[in-house]
Amino acid sequence: MTKVSAAKSAAKRKKQLVPYFFIAPHLLLFLIFFLIPMFYGIYASFTKWDLFGSPQWVGLKNYATIFTNQESTFYRQFWNGLKNTVIFVLICVPFQILIPLTIAILLDKRPKGRNIFQGIFYMPTLFSITSVTLTWLFIFNRSLGLFNHLFGTDVNWYGEQPYAWMTIVITTLWWGLGGNLIIYVAALSGIDRSILEAAALDGASGLKKFWHIIIPSIKFPLTYTIIISIISQFNIYGQPLMITGGGPNESTYVLLMYIRNLAFGTGKSVAGMASAMSTCLGLLIGVVSVFQLILMNRKED
Amino acid sequence: MGKKQKKEADYQEAAHCSAKVSWTAFAILCVMAFIALVPLLWIFISSFKVEAEVIQAGGFLYLPKTWTLDNFKSLLSFSNKQLPVYYWFVNSVIVSGATTVLAVIIYSMSAYAYAKLDFKGRNVIFLTIMFLSSFPAITNIIPLYKMMHSFGWLNQLIALIVPGLAGVSNIFLIRQFMMAIPDVILESARIDGAGEVQIFRKIILPNCKPILIAVGLFTFTGSWNDFLWPSIAINNLDRLTLTAGLQLAKGVYSNKVPQMSAIATVAIIPMIILYLFTQKYFVRGISLSSGVKG
Repeated sequence: MTKVSAAKSAAKRKKQLVPYFFIAPHLLLFLIFFLIPMFYGIYASFTKWDLFGSPQWVGLKNYATIFTNQESTFYRQFWNGLKNTVIFVLICVPFQILIPLTIAILLDKRPKGRNIFQGIFYMPTLFSITSVTLTWLFIFNRSLGLFNHLFGTDVNWYGEQPYAWMTIVITTLWWGLGGNLIIYVAALSGIDRSILEAAALDGASGLKKFWHIIIPSIKFPLTYTIIISIISQFNIYGQPLMITGGGPNESTYVLLMYIRNLAFGTGKSVAGMASAMSTCLGLLIGVVSVFQLILMNRKED
Repeated sequence: MGKKQKKEADYQEAAHCSAKVSWTAFAILCVMAFIALVPLLWIFISSFKVEAEVIQAGGFLYLPKTWTLDNFKSLLSFSNKQLPVYYWFVNSVIVSGATTVLAVIIYSMSAYAYAKLDFKGRNVIFLTIMFLSSFPAITNIIPLYKMMHSFGWLNQLIALIVPGLAGVSNIFLIRQFMMAIPDVILESARIDGAGEVQIFRKIILPNCKPILIAVGLFTFTGSWNDFLWPSIAINNLDRLTLTAGLQLAKGVYSNKVPQMSAIATVAIIPMIILYLFTQKYFVRGISLSSGVKG
């Protein structure tokens, strides 16, 4: 009797351990390669650190430098990088919503070759940023590029503002509108046709239908795409690096480029300062991410 | 009677109107699609040009005078020591392939436990990792570099594989999908004496094929296209991935249009082929991840 129950409870205990066996590999990887580096990065932001020696605790000194010391190059780099990153997000995100939404509405009219069109617009999303920038390199190149030859212009796309931003934004949009497009296409196809038809029969104009039926029905996917687009564009790095090199006059030099150079550049690493900057950028993106999390959980309920 | 006729006329008009609308949409889309394809057409065409002929024409040629494959040949040859594209391609296949296989296994195991198994702390653990993972990985990169250094993984492909397995969002996706599998099936399998591992392999995995393929594709392309991390973790030219290695093309070829176009073409074609075979899984996966039903 006791033997049986002992065996039973041993089996039960073993059974209770099974779920942990399923989650253990990922939890371990998450701990080692996400959580520890994250907290270490925050810790490093309070230190003076050259990446190879041990970090020296300096308290809030790094933050004080980048927030208040106007003489410091770190101050200038941080604010210039942050400003340029924010400028990019502000220009890029509205287009990254509106253009895919327009295409999705057109696709929703059931034109011929619908899937082919969707494929064409989505495909660049799968290309790497380096191949995308190389692809566009000889479109906007001043003397060798297609654009200036085709239209007889002599625009210095990479070397002058606002053209430098235009090139970066156009390249980014071409690269990244596919994800949002597919979300909108799916969302629009979920709208009840009869409502739209009834509205059309009642004489509602296209614009009216857009504002009063389409937008409210895709409110959730719309909010979702706005949030993920903001998050992804805050991480901008490859486009300015490859297209303009941060120029002209560091006007497209984004924060991640400075962070990368400070930590892994050619000179002596100032990883502590770079960590302080990335913690600030991380906090900024983190605030947006929290909205995403709230949204996802609300949807799940 | 008259009313019915009017209604029919209305419907006909609506149908006629919608046909007109769909043709207008078609025309606009044709223009937009053409614009979107121009850069690709341009590198494809330019990759067949002869460098000398381009220079002769003052740096610009619409179409090649002579169509040549030499740009591809010299680019892809083993003797190309400056841009070992061949090695980069193999490295990318190894890194992305290994990451994908491991990620799908590890993520689906976790997702199964969070979706279908009862255990102490399940929701707390899941919500905690969801919350923590929503913080951006930017702060991680510097310490991760240090960590790779102390593991002796710098300049090793493993540095590009293992840290990529710590993601959470794909677990969330698979979990959502698994939650739709009825518990009754699992219960009856348990009564028949099946263990959790067996249930996971024989019932759960086959039923989750669409989402597992989607997650696999996301992981593969994400890993293939990762730029910042490989360019930091790998210094050895032969160990770079294709995405990170391409950064060097500008320095080697600078303004040589045909060669640059050839390298861009080589980088893009694998992804186009992958996409042609897997389009529907991408589309479905994105719809699932955003929570809209496709």
